[in-house]
Amino acid sequence: MLRSAFLAFFRSFTRHPLYALLNLLGLSFGVAVFITLSLFYRFETSYENWTPQRSHIYVIGTRVHVPGIPDDLLLLTMGSLLDEIRSAYPQIDGVRDWPFPVTMHRGAQIFSEQAESVDANFLSFFQAPVLRGSASSALSDPSQVVLSAHIARKYFGTIDVVGRPLTLGDESGLKTYTVSAVIADLPKNSDMQLDILRLLTPQHEAIMGGIWNGWGLILLKTYVKFKTPAEAAAFSAQLPAFIDRRAGATFGANVVPHKMLELPLTPLANSHLIRPKLKAAILSLGLVGIVTLALALINYVNLATARAGMRAREVAVRKTLGAPPPALRLQFLIEAVLTLLLAFLVALSMVELSLPLINAAGSLSLTLDYRADAGWLLGALGCVMLAGLVAALYPAFVLSAFKPAQVLASSRTPGGGRTAGWLRTGLAMLQFAAVVVAFILMAGFMLQIRHIETADLGFRRDHLIIVNSVTNPIVTFAQREAFYNAARALPAVRYATAADKIPGPGSGPGGFSKIFRPGQSDNMAQALSVNVSAIGPDYFELMRTRLLAGRRFDAQRGEDQDWNGPDYVKGSVVNVIVSRSAARDMGFVSPRSAIGQMATLGTAPVRIVGVVEDMRLVSPNDPIPPALYVLDSKYGYAMVRYQGVSEAAMREALGRVWRQIVPDVPFDCISVAANLDAYYRPERDRSYLFDIGTGIAALIGCLGLYGMAAFNTGRRVREIGMRKVLGASRGQLVRLLLVQFLRPVFIASLIAWPVGWIVLQRWLGQFNDAIAIPLWIFPAAAAASLLIALATVGGVAFAASSAEPGKALRHE
Amino acid sequence: MTDPLIDLRNITRLYRSDEIETAALHDVSMSVKRGEFVAVMGPSGCGKSTLLNIMGTIDRPTSGAYVFHGPDGQQDLARLSEVKLAQHRARHLGFIFQSFNLVDDLTIFENIELGLLYRSHRHGSRRKAVEAAMDRVGIAHRARHYPHQLSGGQQQRAAIARAIVGEPDLILADEPTGNLDTENGAQVMDILRGLNAAGATIVMVTHSPSHADQASRRIDMLDGQLAASVEQVL
Repeated sequence: MLRSAFLAFFRSFTRHPLYALLNLLGLSFGVAVFITLSLFYRFETSYENWTPQRSHIYVIGTRVHVPGIPDDLLLLTMGSLLDEIRSAYPQIDGVRDWPFPVTMHRGAQIFSEQAESVDANFLSFFQAPVLRGSASSALSDPSQVVLSAHIARKYFGTIDVVGRPLTLGDESGLKTYTVSAVIADLPKNSDMQLDILRLLTPQHEAIMGGIWNGWGLILLKTYVKFKTPAEAAAFSAQLPAFIDRRAGATFGANVVPHKMLELPLTPLANSHLIRPKLKAAILSLGLVGIVTLALALINYVNLATARAGMRAREVAVRKTLGAPPPALRLQFLIEAVLTLLLAFLVALSMVELSLPLINAAGSLSLTLDYRADAGWLLGALGCVMLAGLVAALYPAFVLSAFKPAQVLASSRTPGGGRTAGWLRTGLAMLQFAAVVVAFILMAGFMLQIRHIETADLGFRRDHLIIVNSVTNPIVTFAQREAFYNAARALPAVRYATAADKIPGPGSGPGGFSKIFRPGQSDNMAQALSVNVSAIGPDYFELMRTRLLAGRRFDAQRGEDQDWNGPDYVKGSVVNVIVSRSAARDMGFVSPRSAIGQMATLGTAPVRIVGVVEDMRLVSPNDPIPPALYVLDSKYGYAMVRYQGVSEAAMREALGRVWRQIVPDVPFDCISVAANLDAYYRPERDRSYLFDIGTGIAALIGCLGLYGMAAFNTGRRVREIGMRKVLGASRGQLVRLLLVQFLRPVFIASLIAWPVGWIVLQRWLGQFNDAIAIPLWIFPAAAAASLLIALATVGGVAFAASSAEPGKALRHE
Repeated sequence: MTDPLIDLRNITRLYRSDEIETAALHDVSMSVKRGEFVAVMGPSGCGKSTLLNIMGTIDRPTSGAYVFHGPDGQQDLARLSEVKLAQHRARHLGFIFQSFNLVDDLTIFENIELGLLYRSHRHGSRRKAVEAAMDRVGIAHRARHYPHQLSGGQQQRAAIARAIVGEPDLILADEPTGNLDTENGAQVMDILRGLNAAGATIVMVTHSPSHADQASRRIDMLDGQLAASVEQVL
């Protein structure tokens, strides 16, 4: 049986190359997409697996329930939380990680780096891969520093650097450390950045003052370790009471603290996919992989069953010669196994060839390592073989059930009966419905991504540069002021000013403060919280934000005094500007009615002098928080609006100015467009992956349709001949055949529309700023797939209708 | 020529479609002895092929008994399972068709080998048997060709080789010369007669009176029943 199967498998390539290639390519494409998306899924779900302690470590998060503040879970806590926990639960093992921007000084050269201030037991807590030095003593005193391998190589050219001195600068000045250990670089599937580690000292804590132990504030990462999930759950259950005991009256006299503040534990393994939307996106890409594999298998069943019809005579002959049905089934299953194995091999080479492209398109670093991934690959092979064999059972049974006497007596190829015919049509329809759904989703994704990339954000995003260097703590106020003045003096610069929040990621959500009008409750659980932004003069002119009522800040007016300025008298009224939604949420019926009104921000009296349009500085996924602006240019980023020169020229000019004023801090800037792109990139990258997957699924669908068309036409050669004898024209025959093939495609479109609508609607649900689904994409998707179907089967129909009738009638 | 090989007793074969019931065979009883060469004649639709299919166990009678006198004793084939019938065909029967029915994707050698594939033959002995069968019908030089590369006469000779390669007890031939010209038809009949002379039992359906005349017995059929059975002196 094995020999017959091998022979039939081999001959199908030499004798029916088209059929064999269609079958093999369809399967291989499907398996390749399945493997690639499985790799992607595995990559995204394997974050932080570099630490052997992964399953025991939990990240403590913070979720604040206050009106006006987004209650997203953030995986950060206040600085002193671990101290508070330790004093109440001394048995708990935990560490903190507080990232700090620092400057690295090598001779005359200065580089920007990020250093982590961590607890002494950090390396042993994570069982970090120490390459040089020892984990236990590496962070035993404040003069030690641990480097990652690539940082060691970057500055020393080697990893044998234990004992070497190294100078770092931060806001407390320059300090020389001794390298105590070198750890391996973390893999790409890690959200942690462990480049430079030093001991977290009371001096670091002192820098933050009251913020260090402010309940509900977020500053650094706190990790705790438990032996079992049950222990973690037990600890988690005690946290609300713990918060109530420790936080006391932080949130107001009549407020129960744990109602305002949650400190949920997130397993380290889940910390990458903490956002449910991201998790859903990863899951749905995994689903695309499974659906594509299913389509490929459907295709395989269709082609194999159709081909089975063509092999009916062979089956009948074999049966007549004494082949029992089980032996025939076995033969066809072995043929299927061989096809699947070959398809798997071809798919692996496809994956190998396409991974660089996919990694580039999706900003990923997926790899296929046969030795390390052997177990996983065998699992994937097992999945494919199992699914493939289930799929192959059907044609094997159809084939072995042919009645030899009937097959041999008829000149027509049996199709496996009416059921098989229906099944084939149904499967092809399902395949095409999936293709139409894919087209609808591709169109929807494209439109939404284009929308978020071009939508009116409430400000002009072009010709804007953010200078990050000014946020370095060692830059003095005088240097900042000098830089603004020098930048403004550049001919291409229209405006240069300070802002503590920038469009795109980087500045974080920033500070929120409760605000209430006279007569309103100052209770934190009820009062509105607004996102407070400290901005420099000309900020709204720089952003080109529309003024809705009142006026912008005017530094010349004494009453628009600097919030942090030397002239500010505690308790005196501060002029503020609010956003449209802040004015609305505060209860003003129109922007105009807010002008001149008094309110209390935290404890400070404020007067609203202007209302501006909402600006979307946050991700398109998130709602725009109500904003309040105060005049204060001492902190935050520098923003520059320019015109008339290229971005590169502007950066160059700003860099020159910077180096003259602050020579000991490296210049670092980014355009607003590029910074915003960090919001759009993941979505765009995932949609690339999705497009590749669906494009291949569509290709497989076409292969299936082609196979079905070729098969059905092949069975009808005699009928077509008869019709020609009776006078049918070629055009009439092409129409006849096309209608037969296209009817299932048309029905498939009708099934696909509601499915596509529901899926697209759900996907758009993750965006706060989403498009309304345009109706035209539904008929367009159907038309596109109809066109593809026409192109696929048109050739078959034309060829069949062109055959000479005499030849067709002689056909057996 | 006295041992019976097969006995058909009161065989009836009905075909039912939605509303019509047709009797392809009606109460047919006959037997074939070892070494006989029986020709079955009759007009189209008289039940010749149905009779042959039932003898070949690729169709089952609606009622009646079909007894086969094999080396292991008598067996009623009408009651056997599909798998047992397949074994029976592999061991005892050889088929020759009007349209040859060679498998397109197999070479002539492999097609003939099919006749042994479903019996427990070792590969080496199979090879010898296939070569011997090809020699007997004179197509050894075409072993590596595919069926479509051969003429009709050559294809039919290959089909005969496939039928005889397993040295079956009974060869069933369904209009073996129907698709061949006179010369090739005569060659095929020569081969069949030679096989019969060497001891093979053959039942052949044919439309050709001259080919029927070369059999040792001739059966005429009409409307699903036996009309006459005539012993012929060759």
